[in-house]
Amino acid sequence: MIGFFIIQVLFDLGHSVTALPFVHYGMFSESFASPDSLAVFEVTVNGRLLDAHDFSIDHWDMIQNPLGAFDRQTRSRDFAFDKERLQSGLHFIGAGSLYSLLAPNLDNTPAVAERFPGWYKTYLSRLIRQPIHALRVDKAWYRYDRVHFILLKKDPWINL
Amino acid sequence: MSYTRDKKITLIVYFLFYYALFASFYLDDRLLSQYQPIFFTHNRDLTELILIATGLPRWMMAHPWTFTAADTLAFGLPAALLAYALRKGRFSPVLGIAFGLFLSGYLLLADLFWQVHHEPFVLYLLLALAWMTNREERFYQVLKGCRYYFLYIFTSAALWKIARGAVFNGQEMSRILLFHHSDLLSGPCDSFARRTYRYLVDHPGLSYGLYLGGAALEGCFVVGFFTRRWDRVLIGLTVVFVVADLLLMRIPYWTILLGTITLWLGSGPVLSGSSLPFRRPLPPREKKIIIYETTHHENLPALLDLSEAHFSEVAVFLKELSYHNLSGYGSPERRWPRTDFFVQPEDCSNRRFISQLFAFLKRHRYSHLHLSTLDNNLLVFVFRLTGAGTVHLSLTVHEVNEYFTFSFRSLRDWSESIAKFFLHRQIRHYTLFLPAMVDRFRQKLPEATAVFIPSRFYPGQHPSGPAQSPFIIVIPGSVEPNRRNYNEVIQTLTLFLSRNNPPVELVILGDSRTEAGAAIIASLQALECGRLRLRHFKGYIPETVYEQELAGAHLIWSPLNLHKIGSRNNPETYGLTTASGLTADLLLNDIPALVPEGFVIPEPFRAAVLPYGSPETALEIIERLIRDPAGYQAIRGNIRQAFAWFSKENFMDAFMELTNSDPPRNQP
Repeated sequence: MIGFFIIQVLFDLGHSVTALPFVHYGMFSESFASPDSLAVFEVTVNGRLLDAHDFSIDHWDMIQNPLGAFDRQTRSRDFAFDKERLQSGLHFIGAGSLYSLLAPNLDNTPAVAERFPGWYKTYLSRLIRQPIHALRVDKAWYRYDRVHFILLKKDPWINL
Repeated sequence: MSYTRDKKITLIVYFLFYYALFASFYLDDRLLSQYQPIFFTHNRDLTELILIATGLPRWMMAHPWTFTAADTLAFGLPAALLAYALRKGRFSPVLGIAFGLFLSGYLLLADLFWQVHHEPFVLYLLLALAWMTNREERFYQVLKGCRYYFLYIFTSAALWKIARGAVFNGQEMSRILLFHHSDLLSGPCDSFARRTYRYLVDHPGLSYGLYLGGAALEGCFVVGFFTRRWDRVLIGLTVVFVVADLLLMRIPYWTILLGTITLWLGSGPVLSGSSLPFRRPLPPREKKIIIYETTHHENLPALLDLSEAHFSEVAVFLKELSYHNLSGYGSPERRWPRTDFFVQPEDCSNRRFISQLFAFLKRHRYSHLHLSTLDNNLLVFVFRLTGAGTVHLSLTVHEVNEYFTFSFRSLRDWSESIAKFFLHRQIRHYTLFLPAMVDRFRQKLPEATAVFIPSRFYPGQHPSGPAQSPFIIVIPGSVEPNRRNYNEVIQTLTLFLSRNNPPVELVILGDSRTEAGAAIIASLQALECGRLRLRHFKGYIPETVYEQELAGAHLIWSPLNLHKIGSRNNPETYGLTTASGLTADLLLNDIPALVPEGFVIPEPFRAAVLPYGSPETALEIIERLIRDPAGYQAIRGNIRQAFAWFSKENFMDAFMELTNSDPPRNQP
């Protein structure tokens, strides 16, 4: 038990990485700076903009999560930085050849970008319990001026 | 019985939460078979990275039926585990291990595919360890570990908020709300929730107050590391936290409530001082006491007599040597028939034995723990006592100065000083062997309860009286020049032999194997002649022999050095800060004792004490006792009369104060 807690504290102090069951409980502990802009995924189904108020918390998470994850996967070039760190780490401990062995398992299939919109439409339809004839997802950036949310920019992302 | 009950409660609560969790996954289309992922993410978790490296996520995506198989196992495997446990009344370790591994794998996959955050689910993994064992001790170890982990969740969350400076940022909560609810706040609907969040965003002072309140609430859990007394309160705080998190942050953290089971089980009743509205009285625990002793077995008899009179169950954990020498006449079981003795075998380490003691205490829900001697492993005891829950603690202090001295000369000093800092706060009830020691102790720790209880009670009857001649003088105790002044003995005996006195026998009733001891014996042997016969011992003297020798004495001589160096090199004064074994020895018989002047001893003992200031006065006393048999018998009669005060009944009140007890029902 003592060993477990020692490892837990070490991971906690390391902070940048976890290893289940050693996780951090430091959420919302960083000192937040005033955000310049707020990014939001706006999902419009059959011409109607979906609103968080109309869904349970978990349901809304499942509407938003895939978009956030896919956005992250795309922007990070399929998590290239993490894989590079792994490669250099393995190289550092003299197990560089292991990386070439594992590398194919670390990558998502290249077809993800192409398949994602269709997959999301199917999943979303199941989630909101209605057929989707038209789906549009925009990535919007807002600024809050203490009175209004001012739209700074809106990029169309998925349009099916 | 409590194990069976605790196991059942844990099992039911755990799987209610588990199935509620997976039912919520199903309702929100989060089961893997419902989600049917087509890509995975890297989340900077090493275990996840290993899983990705095995190729399993890619393979599962290429074979979607595996998601259905995983979900089937998620519902079926615990069902099999439950069915086995309910049918057989025990766990299948194989199923338990399979379940634990499977749940870990499922959670990792869920995070890879749809970003389930692991934080609220780690306790589900740790508590699952309880299904892998049928050993009571391990079950409670798992519960205890999970309780600490649950406390750690909140405490570390509070610490991070302090360490990373968030609690010092007056805009913190306003910005968190703005960031966290951006999709809600920027949406078209103008609901009550949206207006509330906007209000809090626009009023940073108010939202910052809520943030500080949250951090303070999390910080409160640190108390659980030191005591179980507030566990019920912490359960209430957990509920407050979950509700606040839901309302303010829209984070449904209800799954973490599973951890409250670790606070509930074994936390005992809330103290009467609590003013919480939800306080619910528990049925009173049976009064059961465990006494821990190392080598000072001579101090146990009174405690055992009182414990048997007060408690429904008495258990003594002691060393083999102490057990065999606890009673000079008959076995300990015969003398204390209602007491269970747990003997530490020679091949069992102290720490292991202590660990067994605390496991026993928890398993059988003992209400009291008395440490009759605490001379080693202090830090171990601090840790163990911290997790011992609401057990009433008490301690016999042998050396007052030592108990309050903080020293940092060696690693042991450091550890013992740190331990003493905590012990002074953990233990509030003390017993000491002399009233003067009690007074001194109260000066040092006035807020604690300190009582005088002697080592043993006066039996009133003696197995056999001393022979008429020769006159036998017994000097009890190990032959150590630090403790006793043997030069005075030699000088007195030299004077005694120089005069026309009848023969005497001198018994050195202590281990004289040491170099210093051998030198003292040699000096005494040099005096041996027709009128002085010397007997001495080498090695440990069995209690039977020890008590027989004392019973055969005409006079006990305790040539104490009143100021001695204690066990950890602290100065101690006999009679004031530490007690000599003489007080225990005196109560065995009605024999007078020769002691140096200045030895502080309370009134009832004084009938037996003959103080001397020099070898000459010691000689006078001895000669008077030998030449005046009638006077000698009168002294012994007085001793018997005075010692009658050392009865169990006269120390009931002190013992009740020590154990914080009500009078026994048969007492007036």
